[in-house]
Amino acid sequence: MTAEAIAARPVPTADWVTIEDLYRNPFPIYRKMRSEAPVHWVPAVNRYMVTSYEACHTVENDQEIFSADETNSLMKRAMGHSMLRKDDPEHDVDRKSYGSVLRPKAIKEHWNAIFQANHEKYLAGLKAAGPGADLIWEYAAPYAAENLRLVMGFHNATQEDMQRWSQTMINGTGNYADDPDVWAASEKSYNEVDDAIDEILPYLRKNPDSSLLSGMTSMPIPLEAIRANMKMTIGGGLNEPRDVLGVAVWALLSHPDQLAQVLADPALYPTVFEESVRWVAPIGMYPRETTRDTVLEGVQLPKGARLGVVVGAANRDPEVFEDPESFNINRPKKPHLAFGGGNHYCAGAWVAKASVSGIALPQLFAELPNLRLDPERPAVDAGWVFRGMTALPVRWDAK
Amino acid sequence: MAKVSFHHNDGNVDVLEVDPGTSLMRAAVTNGVAGIVGECGGQAMCATCHVYVRPEYLDGLPEISEDEEEMLECTADPRDEDRSRLGCQIKAGEGFDEIEVDVPASQI
Repeated sequence: MTAEAIAARPVPTADWVTIEDLYRNPFPIYRKMRSEAPVHWVPAVNRYMVTSYEACHTVENDQEIFSADETNSLMKRAMGHSMLRKDDPEHDVDRKSYGSVLRPKAIKEHWNAIFQANHEKYLAGLKAAGPGADLIWEYAAPYAAENLRLVMGFHNATQEDMQRWSQTMINGTGNYADDPDVWAASEKSYNEVDDAIDEILPYLRKNPDSSLLSGMTSMPIPLEAIRANMKMTIGGGLNEPRDVLGVAVWALLSHPDQLAQVLADPALYPTVFEESVRWVAPIGMYPRETTRDTVLEGVQLPKGARLGVVVGAANRDPEVFEDPESFNINRPKKPHLAFGGGNHYCAGAWVAKASVSGIALPQLFAELPNLRLDPERPAVDAGWVFRGMTALPVRWDAK
Repeated sequence: MAKVSFHHNDGNVDVLEVDPGTSLMRAAVTNGVAGIVGECGGQAMCATCHVYVRPEYLDGLPEISEDEEEMLECTADPRDEDRSRLGCQIKAGEGFDEIEVDVPASQI
């Protein structure tokens, strides 16, 4: 044993943590865990949960000790072996296959106009549903799904297909209970996505456009990797913009002073976006696996330890963020970990910012006068591995 | 080894000895240099390792790639047409044995 390992303390166990409590509201649990130790063994989750900012930051910047290529990964079963479960150099080959499709120049030249058209389409749908409509299901979900469908190049699918594929495969990646019905739905989507890719690639070879799948046709990348990466992108590119949009609207409607400030200065919408993803990270936890015995922030971890990197907890670490449990767009700017960090930093970060804080948020508040929560039906936030609004009924005045 | 100096707005300077091939961003993040974030790990994806290279060290640096050019338009503090670079794209031993950079006030 090294001197460091001898000085380190053993991992504490958090046997009081339950999945049900995490799903309802993980933040009081994270607060308690963080105050005790940066890492716990959590029997209910069957993982070591890493909850301090410093520890999460260390893990995501050291792929040699903390590998993304997890053994018996449920994500690999649900979606195939995507770049999200690879380390460099293998990861880097897949990542480069995304080219410049998701970068700011392409967003400016191609995607902003498409996001604008989609916004107008689904805002019209929300207005048609009338005051009392659910902002998530009438607007945010179809808007995010249709944006992603076109960015990816699934011209042979619908936004409803995208939503179904995303949710069923995400449920597969989280199917720790090994529920056969969850696997059946996930596998059905897996096969549907493969079929859709097989069908659209020849079309895009003849009719190239700015989409991810079109770019893939000229990249030296095996079909198996394309299939897995597309499934990962369906899972990682839909619920997340939907959820940051929902949380941002809910946060502003629940904090009238900050809403007034933003309405008076629309240049603050990007700040609203960053504070929303810090406050409620849409992806709250992701896995890593240790490749050797190690010490993380003074805590011993064995080789092969399955970690949950809880960025949802790191983003509320009082060592980094003052009054971390509060939504506050005026807090000092500090880097949050909601997009991950290091080589797995979210490839869709710019697309999310453009579609949510560039287009959706400012225009929703401009187009729906006196937008407010529905006093009769409460908004509901839920989840922990993925967290967002499951209901957001809103009202507004006629223009 | 190359010598890299990070000058901060408060007058403090971090001086590092950096292995060949290691980027300014990686050296800064590994050694806890304040003001260099490096969110994306060096893929020219995030513009949070922005530095202003001191003029006397600009000659010999590698050309600005298309990706870096794009990100330099997305920096939190204003871009300097001559001096702005991404720390992740400048590697010890590639065009310099010694370099001095100013760290911007903000990266996000």
